[in-house]
Amino acid sequence: MIRIAEYKEPQHNSFSEKFHDPSKLYLPLSQHTGAPSKPCVKKGDQVSEGEVIAKASGAISAQLHAPKSGKVIDIANWYHPTLKKAPAIIIQCQDEKKEYSPRKDKDIELLTQEKILKTIADCGLVGMGGAAFPTHVKLNPPKKIDTLIINGCECEPYLACDYRLMIEDINKIFKGIRLISKLINPKEIIFAIEKNKPEAIKKVNLLINTKKFGLPPIRSFVLDTAYPQGGEKQLIQLIIKKKVPPKGLPFDVGVLVHNVATCFAIYEAVYLDKPLVERLVSFCGDALVTPKNIWVKIGTTLQELVDRKILEFGKEPKKIICGGPMMGIALNSLDYPILKNAGGFLFLSDQVDDAQEEPCLRCNRCVDTCPMGLLPLEYVKRVKKGEYASLSEFNIVDCIECGCCSYGCPAKIPIVHYIKTGKKYELNSK
Amino acid sequence: MNLTVSNPPHLKSKVNTPFLMKQVIIALFPAIAASIHFFGIRAVILIANCILSAMIAERIILLLGKKPSTLNDYSAALTGLLLAMTLPPSVPWYVASLGSIVAISVGKHIFGGLGANIFNPALVGRAFLMAAYPKILTTFINPSSVDAISSATPLVLRKFSQVITPTTALFFGKISGSLGETSAICLIIGGVYLLIRKVAGWRIPLSLLLTTTVTSAIFFIINPNWGSVWFHLFGGGLLLGAFFMATDPVTTPTTKRGRYIFGIGCGLLIMIIRYFSGLPEGVMYSILFMNALTPLINRYTKPRRFGV
Repeated sequence: MIRIAEYKEPQHNSFSEKFHDPSKLYLPLSQHTGAPSKPCVKKGDQVSEGEVIAKASGAISAQLHAPKSGKVIDIANWYHPTLKKAPAIIIQCQDEKKEYSPRKDKDIELLTQEKILKTIADCGLVGMGGAAFPTHVKLNPPKKIDTLIINGCECEPYLACDYRLMIEDINKIFKGIRLISKLINPKEIIFAIEKNKPEAIKKVNLLINTKKFGLPPIRSFVLDTAYPQGGEKQLIQLIIKKKVPPKGLPFDVGVLVHNVATCFAIYEAVYLDKPLVERLVSFCGDALVTPKNIWVKIGTTLQELVDRKILEFGKEPKKIICGGPMMGIALNSLDYPILKNAGGFLFLSDQVDDAQEEPCLRCNRCVDTCPMGLLPLEYVKRVKKGEYASLSEFNIVDCIECGCCSYGCPAKIPIVHYIKTGKKYELNSK
Repeated sequence: MNLTVSNPPHLKSKVNTPFLMKQVIIALFPAIAASIHFFGIRAVILIANCILSAMIAERIILLLGKKPSTLNDYSAALTGLLLAMTLPPSVPWYVASLGSIVAISVGKHIFGGLGANIFNPALVGRAFLMAAYPKILTTFINPSSVDAISSATPLVLRKFSQVITPTTALFFGKISGSLGETSAICLIIGGVYLLIRKVAGWRIPLSLLLTTTVTSAIFFIINPNWGSVWFHLFGGGLLLGAFFMATDPVTTPTTKRGRYIFGIGCGLLIMIIRYFSGLPEGVMYSILFMNALTPLINRYTKPRRFGV
């Protein structure tokens, strides 16, 4: 665990805005962990907002919907933050608005577990904290869940969308939590938030004290601000003092962790029948005139936000990052679309660090800060020498790539870069 | 738009190698001040000589290897300074220079330079001098005398004359001994500074000091002639070794458990040498010996896997 400068201002305090009329949308078929969705529209088709345009294929996959009415102008390869280029459905949007009207709480109470789960699956929900694991799969665990942890940590610097969501829409998040608890019947619910989000803590505690949602025992858990405790394994270790076994999942220790934004999406899916077609995204960094939190349609490109003057550069950005500064992916252009799991984009100018790599001092900072208890310096040494075979001895697969090691390295060694190289070899050799 | 693409993380801490080296040098300031207070101009000349010799040796070796200069990382300067702190104030200038040159060449660059050496370079330099000039390296002067009147160190007095030096003298440093080793309080201030600034890890100094404390306490209870806890903690090179030599990251274990083992091993060896060997002091040899064991310690103390 490390303490990093938070860079949460001013986006922490800026009210969320909306951008709902993009001209074009680029919707990659892979926006989730698992098999890519299969397109069920073709070039030239007219689609309306909320219509399924690609279907889940296989047990772990997710539906994809048209975020806006319009015409499918192509299904072709397009920029993708992690896959570089991947097949995407491209929609030319029309200016048409769809209204979603909420169902009543008492109607929701009548829904069966199967119906709720099906609605969530039909709405194409994925984990919105970053991993993008299909939500309906996660909500149907093979083991009994004792503890449901709601993750409101947002431990990456800069990002503020979860914080804004907790401040602006906490009631809906709680309704989402109620739905999750109906599905998995946990003995206890723990709402985890970092100390640097005082307003959200206040709101959460207020709602917990009203007891009006009919939830199982629920309490808030305020954590010191440290990175990477928003990671599932770290959060579980901190809160319930259990360690998820290697290659295991949280349900192996009777826990399920859901991000607050996912809870909100579950509310929208079940109450409004609204598929996952938009999300709150933080746009921050020193290159922007005003960092903002904006509700954008999935598939909107950064270029469009810049062209339409939603985002304005005060300085020329030297680095654009999809995600947070610790685990985010550096992009090489503005053509990338916003995906379901993208919590933020950074536009950095002066804050770009390009120090030269120096010899390792074996100072152990990487060892002492590794939240998985690994020896990162050993990976660097072995990857540099090409001794890939010995990497498994040091459990390289356990690395969560949080970046604590590279962050603190006084020799400025890009340790995560070497680990990624080593992991690739490890995967190929199996 | 000219965009940089690199692997995460995109944030880096401000701590770098020169910063760490400078912090260690700063932490030695109190001990340097004490050495100048007790030994005057001799201390100034010895320190300057060792640092300069180390830096010149480093520059020449890198020029010969056609490598860029690394003087600006302060590591050579630190090696020179640390060596100076371990030498008797009366060593002739050429002996000190030779020590620095050996420290940098044999101690550091033969192994591949910064980060690749197995033994603490400053201690390699001192060990070489100990073998080459045993008489000079074991002749100490009294801090209060104007002329260089040789005088035995507290550890020698205990071992061979059964005379125990008062603790206050050891604590403030008005005793004969190596340049930077005499004042316990100054070394403690520097050591605590290193720990607070998180420049050095706490595991090795803590386990080393605890081991010596416990061992000396047991022996003191058996027979007070073995010397008290304070005598062993504040006498000789123990504090300099614990805070500044045994914490050298390059030559000590990388695993958390390994660092405790390193500290305990050093502590035990120091006490064994002090009690039972022909030498009055054993800090240097203990640390060098544990340096040699470091790869082995690393191998057998791999951390347990998360969640197992």
